[in-house]
Amino acid sequence: MDKRTTHFGYQEVPVEEKAARVADVFHSVAARYDIMNDLMSLGIHRLWKRLTLERAGVRRGHSVLDIAGGTGDLTLKFSRQVGPTGRVVLADINQSMLRVGRDKLLDSGVGDNVEYVQANAERLPFPDNSFDCITIAFGLRNVTDKDAALASMARVLKPGGRLLVLEFSKPPNALLSKAYDSYSFSMLPKIGEWVADDADSYRYLAESIRMHPDQETLKAMMENAGLERVEYTNMTGGIVALHRGIKL
Amino acid sequence: MSLTPTLLLACAEKSLNALLARDPAAPARLRRLTGKRLLLRLERPRLDLLVVFYREGLSLLSAAPAEESDADAIVEIDNAALGALLAGESLEKLMFSGRLSVRGQTQLLEQTRALLMDLDLDWEGELAEWLGDTPAHGLSEGLRHCVRFGLRSQRELRVDIKDYVFEEARLLAGHRQREALRDHLTELEIATDRLEARLDRLRHRLDARRESAA
Repeated sequence: MDKRTTHFGYQEVPVEEKAARVADVFHSVAARYDIMNDLMSLGIHRLWKRLTLERAGVRRGHSVLDIAGGTGDLTLKFSRQVGPTGRVVLADINQSMLRVGRDKLLDSGVGDNVEYVQANAERLPFPDNSFDCITIAFGLRNVTDKDAALASMARVLKPGGRLLVLEFSKPPNALLSKAYDSYSFSMLPKIGEWVADDADSYRYLAESIRMHPDQETLKAMMENAGLERVEYTNMTGGIVALHRGIKL
Repeated sequence: MSLTPTLLLACAEKSLNALLARDPAAPARLRRLTGKRLLLRLERPRLDLLVVFYREGLSLLSAAPAEESDADAIVEIDNAALGALLAGESLEKLMFSGRLSVRGQTQLLEQTRALLMDLDLDWEGELAEWLGDTPAHGLSEGLRHCVRFGLRSQRELRVDIKDYVFEEARLLAGHRQREALRDHLTELEIATDRLEARLDRLRHRLDARRESAA
């Protein structure tokens, strides 16, 4: 019997349970995901995503995969960038998030060049060398086997294509780190309780951020997955980092 | 990394799209531009800006150098020329004076300027959604009256100040006086040039006589 465990926030849970638990969290927050993001980050998450878009270097006719795309913020922008000759795939493991994202994109008039796929990042259901660009924004820390997910992304990336990972990280400044900790563990669950009536999910969010690899570790993981020229940019004092690697 | 430039671009994009959404003529203009990309290269401050048009608006992105091959038109311009362009200066004049360089589809720049500069915003319609038709019309009429009054007052004030400064108090020289002074100066300059030429000729003659006497 498989006794392997992994972390779910600060808890140790059997490996096979994590995906279901993460799914429960996102089923619970899907309807109010956007408003919570705006409240928790004071709207700064839009700037982090905008910078991701700029660094992606996507052009007309490109194929883009937005993994853990959630409510489709990046997909919407990418669909305008690639134009009618391009293709954007919004992938998410969670059906509720995917449904919210699809409804939002259809309401925004996006349709022709966007596809929706419910997929596990560890086993992406696409042929090798399919995409010019892959992004995963605030999704990697929820994946059970991050190395498998990065390897799967590298596999479906075309040679010359780039992978961008936008994720919470570790602020190098001790003072900022302390202030950020107290905000995450005292304020975040309260906001979650007031707005989404769900303090536990937002407590998990804070814990999962702390359990996520720091900038250098994630960079090494991306290199191990076969990506090259991996670099990262700290944003908002390192609270968030954008990693970028190229498949050569 | 500072997010300020990203924030400024995001604000500019949001404001422009909000204005375009309120212009009844914008959808037709945007339809012609949909899918086009304009790369704007500003010399100072150094900024490469990629403008991507889509059906409902436009995106502003700071561009990487590699984006050049993906742009339909590349515009290189300095701040002064950009200001002149936005103030309505003709494109041809700026291009022939060398202050503006356009590569690719030059009409894309003209279409972009038409989109942004010929905005005809339906403020009354927007207000009516919030306040109702009658209050919005009353408020709009009041605002129009204030704007007309402001413009008329500004015009009259300018004329009054001009009359006082040039005609009554004679604090500054008027246009005609300046023209007369310029004519006098030109005549003086010509006379000085003539005198200088005469003196040169005399000096040459004197030098020639001295040489022959020696």
